[in-house]
Amino acid sequence: MAIHKLEVLVENEPGVLARVAGLFARRLYNIDSLQVGPTENSKISKMIIEVSVEGHSLEQVIAQLDKLINVIRIEEILEGAISNSKHDTQPDYQN
Amino acid sequence: MAHVPTANGTAMTGASSLVKSLEAAKVDVMFGIPGGAILPAYDPIYDSTIRHILVRHEQGAGHAATGYAQVTGRAGVCIATSGPGATNLVTPLADAAMDSVPVVAITGQVPSLAIGTDAFQEADIRGITMPFTKHNFLVTNPDDIPRVIAEAFHIATSGRPGPVLVDIAKDALQKQTSFDWPTSVNLAGYKPQTHPNKGAINDAAALIAQSAKPVFYVGGGVIKANASRELLELAQLLGAPVVTTLMARGAFPDSHPQHLGMPGMHGTVAAVTALQKADLLITLGARFDDRVTGKLSTFAQNAKIIHADIDPAEIGKNRYADVAVIGDLRETMTALIPALTAVLAKGRTDLSPWIESMNKLRATYPLGYDTPADGALSPQLVIERLGKICGPDTIFAAGVGQHQMWASQFISYEKPRTWLNSGGAGTMGYAVPAAMGAKVGAPDTTVWAIDGDGCFQMTNQELVTCALNNIPIKVAIINNESLGMVRQWQTLFYDSRYSNTSLESKRIPNFPMLAESMGCVGLSCESPKDVDATIEKAMSINDQPVVVDFRVHRDAMVWPMVAAGTSNDEIMIARATAPDWDSQEL
Repeated sequence: MAIHKLEVLVENEPGVLARVAGLFARRLYNIDSLQVGPTENSKISKMIIEVSVEGHSLEQVIAQLDKLINVIRIEEILEGAISNSKHDTQPDYQN
Repeated sequence: MAHVPTANGTAMTGASSLVKSLEAAKVDVMFGIPGGAILPAYDPIYDSTIRHILVRHEQGAGHAATGYAQVTGRAGVCIATSGPGATNLVTPLADAAMDSVPVVAITGQVPSLAIGTDAFQEADIRGITMPFTKHNFLVTNPDDIPRVIAEAFHIATSGRPGPVLVDIAKDALQKQTSFDWPTSVNLAGYKPQTHPNKGAINDAAALIAQSAKPVFYVGGGVIKANASRELLELAQLLGAPVVTTLMARGAFPDSHPQHLGMPGMHGTVAAVTALQKADLLITLGARFDDRVTGKLSTFAQNAKIIHADIDPAEIGKNRYADVAVIGDLRETMTALIPALTAVLAKGRTDLSPWIESMNKLRATYPLGYDTPADGALSPQLVIERLGKICGPDTIFAAGVGQHQMWASQFISYEKPRTWLNSGGAGTMGYAVPAAMGAKVGAPDTTVWAIDGDGCFQMTNQELVTCALNNIPIKVAIINNESLGMVRQWQTLFYDSRYSNTSLESKRIPNFPMLAESMGCVGLSCESPKDVDATIEKAMSINDQPVVVDFRVHRDAMVWPMVAAGTSNDEIMIARATAPDWDSQEL
């Protein structure tokens, strides 16, 4: 089972964690680990989500996550890679 | 309706700021019921230019907002109080989410200091509606109201439309604030892509030009994008067959020679087979729903897929797309038409064998129904005559079940936004309130609700609202005294054991009397020979809602049918009767 690590920038607003967790729960995506912390910008928080993809494509997980209005940017963190694979929500994945 | 905009910076209560914001968002009507937490807002509503229609149940407000939005293309607005008022909006919001309908719901919330204390009429409506709103808000600071309302309308109506809920604490409505309507909306995490990628357009055009068996698989997104004219031009440019899903009925004229009908569980043999045998699906604003694909692994196995949609998350969700075009469908087709014209000018594949075989299937397996031997009234006849007599300008709103499928099958839809139904959620009780909202949005158009006797008993209280507010809708109850679609499944899959599907509604209630008691005209019809005269009578009454109890026989079934979970290849045209595939060359 492939585990992917996503760095997700979200608006620092009440309920954002519930939105992300609820999305994963209702679409049966598995969260392996989740951390939330501040960024230099007090209006933006950073989530590090490890998701084990089974029966879903990573693209679908990212696309659904991007539909959350409070999600600003999603980046897959590739361990040991020089550059990360960026899923900027503007404009390709956003709806 | 001349409306003088309120100057920014004007001091007022949060409640007034809400109403001014709704006016600034160009709301002309809203459906709702007051209650404790939302009460401050109802005071300025009393003086507003916005027409408020007092419904009898919040679910009616929500579906009315949906019907209004589906007919006008603008956001429908509903308003309710906290707690049960808000939770009664849950079903219509879920319904609007499944069918991508722009609805803005305003709910009152208990005062901010009481939130989280299990206060009287407290419900976490933001938490409850997170899964099936496009976005939702909880407002506790009155200064935020104009910005949030502007954002709510922007989110609901742009990109893939959907419902947005704004929950406002009572104290935020009561406090003083200054009204500042934003000049623009800027959301860091929300910028829908409306312009299609040029490379993707060219890839799509190239794939279409190579195809010998293409089909236009048209979904409700074409109607949302107001792209019917572009679809007609694109379809005629290629000449390929067109199928319109349940949500897309009317996006392409039924009478057009390229149209094969509706695909899916109760689709035509020609439409279902066209998708199965195609080598290319040109998918426009459709989402490969299970009711269309049947068993997914056997769906259109030899077809490449062009998938054009404004929602990137639909791409590859159920079916891999060989070419994905993300963007507004009208822009997409406007770009695709010249691109395809250019490619086709260099040489085009002969589609005539494919078109001929599909036309032959359509001619061999037209939609039809058996007339009962005892002279009882057929539900399909009633619906067919409604379509013929009322004509293509009429708006039809169906409930959910057999009558919904027949209304999709036996009425010819020629124009977008004339067919409303609950496609994704399958919400029984949708028809009457949705028809009410549709009639408010299109007051000069005849609006018929085609409802089942089961559905009608869930939401008919809104006929009181219609009667009192000069909203003269017409309702055809297809009364088979059963939960007909469930009964059909019991007939086919549960050995005709009719567990809890008999409603006895030819005995109780007396629908015409019920209608009369609600200020409507009540009519009844149970003989085929009286159908036309009854419909014409209903059509002649325009100053009151009309309810017709069409008392039909209960054993009619919806055909064709692809049983749930089976392959589209297993389509049946009647019980235990498959099409005669051997005589077809596909």
